[in-house]
Amino acid sequence: MTMGSFEVAGLSKSFGTGPPVLSEVSFRYDGAGAIGYLGPNGAGKTTTLKLLVGLLRPSAGAAYLNGVDPMADRKAALWEVGALIETPEPYPTLNVYEALDAVGRARGLSRSDVDHEVDRCHELLDLPSLGQRIGWLSKGQRQRVALAATLIGDPRVLLLDEPTSGLDPAERVLVRRLLNQLKRDHLILMSSHQMLEVTEVCDQLIFLHHGEVLLQDRVDRVADRIRTREVDVEFERPVPADAARRLDGLAAGVTVLSERRWRISFDGADASRVRLLALCQGVAPVVQFANTSLVLEEAYLELMPRTPEAP
Amino acid sequence: METTVNESGPAPTVEGSVGSPTRRRVSDLQQWRTITFLQLGHYLRTNRFYGLLAFVVLVSALTLAFQVDAGITAVRVDQLGSPSEYLSNNLANTPLWIILAAAFFGGDALSVDFSTGAGYYMLVLPIRRPVLLAGRYAAATLVTVAIVGVNFAFSAVGVIYFFGAPGVPWGLVVESLGVAAVFALAALSVAFCVSSFVRSPAAGVLVTVLALYVGFTTLANVFELASIEPVFSMPYAGGAIATVLDTDFVHSQSIPVGMGQSYTIWTATVLEGLEIMAAYIAVFLPLSAFLYQRKESTG
Repeated sequence: MTMGSFEVAGLSKSFGTGPPVLSEVSFRYDGAGAIGYLGPNGAGKTTTLKLLVGLLRPSAGAAYLNGVDPMADRKAALWEVGALIETPEPYPTLNVYEALDAVGRARGLSRSDVDHEVDRCHELLDLPSLGQRIGWLSKGQRQRVALAATLIGDPRVLLLDEPTSGLDPAERVLVRRLLNQLKRDHLILMSSHQMLEVTEVCDQLIFLHHGEVLLQDRVDRVADRIRTREVDVEFERPVPADAARRLDGLAAGVTVLSERRWRISFDGADASRVRLLALCQGVAPVVQFANTSLVLEEAYLELMPRTPEAP
Repeated sequence: METTVNESGPAPTVEGSVGSPTRRRVSDLQQWRTITFLQLGHYLRTNRFYGLLAFVVLVSALTLAFQVDAGITAVRVDQLGSPSEYLSNNLANTPLWIILAAAFFGGDALSVDFSTGAGYYMLVLPIRRPVLLAGRYAAATLVTVAIVGVNFAFSAVGVIYFFGAPGVPWGLVVESLGVAAVFALAALSVAFCVSSFVRSPAAGVLVTVLALYVGFTTLANVFELASIEPVFSMPYAGGAIATVLDTDFVHSQSIPVGMGQSYTIWTATVLEGLEIMAAYIAVFLPLSAFLYQRKESTG
């Protein structure tokens, strides 16, 4: 399988006379892997994805899928692309098979290949019965059908806008596992608010804020930069609350969560973390010493500038 | 920034789960066929299809029942002296059915992509928008002609009842149905055009009916008062469907209204009707494609 690519070059988008939703955003990826596209609501994530697939026209710059501008040749640009944007809804009168069959046929699959692909997706995504009408499905089931539609024909590039939106925890796990499997030989651009999802799936990150790229790097490099400033400690046995005084001078604060659990805030430095662990072990044997939040969540909060409150 | 995500190349595929099926380049024509069947499958299961079909069946059946009740003599002698004339009279309402069907199936055919999630399903596929439009246009035409065909079938049954089976002028019936199909194409061109710029599907249906029937009929009446032939009017052009079967066809008729005044009513000739329909198709179909091609998914 040849590898896919996507590129946005100086991409800007404004609606009417309003401020730009995207301002000269540029990035290019090729090969295989998963790129997390992060940012608060209104940052321009979905707009970027829409521009990439030609659902919107750029105000400036250009987008390319596998080297082809979708505004110039939609069919060629989207040939090797599966896109899940916003909330796709196949006609409610169709059944699951018909909805997926049309996608397979449009992507050039033979009847037998469509059947094979539908069966594959049925298994991968635990789809509802193929004869069931789309209009009768739950939100989560519809989302899985839409996700299946992006995978039919095995396109090289997957553009996923919050792919686990509307899914229950078990379905989210299913999709995360699938994405981890797919990223080995597909290129995935995934916007999400789920930091756990991004942490588990993505190799690279793009942080977007107010239509501008704030940071673009590998996940491990971003994680290295971020100092988590809070840890949860769980002791093997109950400990007295006043034992927390032993951490004075190193901990900025200790919250006693239960007889066996404390939450400690500190300066985030690695040396401080090592000393804190040692001090805690002096109180009682430690069975767990972990960050209270995901590293990416901390990174997200640190990177996103505070939006001033409206007067 | 340019980045290669996986510099070591692709990792092996997980066994048995992800495989690449063989994909061949698919022509626009093949995709058009796929979209036509998809859309046809959708239309044939919608409430609007069953509702309109039931309405046409009801009106056609009632018309036939009243004629049967009036008796053969009344039908044959009073006003409908020949099978052709009978059919022409019975099919006079066909433009209305076609306009209603065009509004129902064409009025939201394109706006559905920008007002519901359907667009996020269809417009991200590797299909050119004109091909999508053409598939939907073909499906809407087939459904519209099918509904009108019911009216034709009831009328044919009436001919067989009143004049006997050999009396059915099949050649003219087919010709009339052909003109009805062209009228359907014209009405759908306008409906698709409306659908390409309105946002709400319901508005598309309403605007199409208002424009094609209420608007044109009103304007045509005003023009007739001024003794101007309403060659711009779609319902006027639709009159050609019945004209095909009309043995006593009169193109224009002057009606005295007193005080030395008169006004003229026109009936479109078949050629004239077809020319008007062709003009609507030539203007509105490319315009629909242009607007659809340029429309953005901003919702």
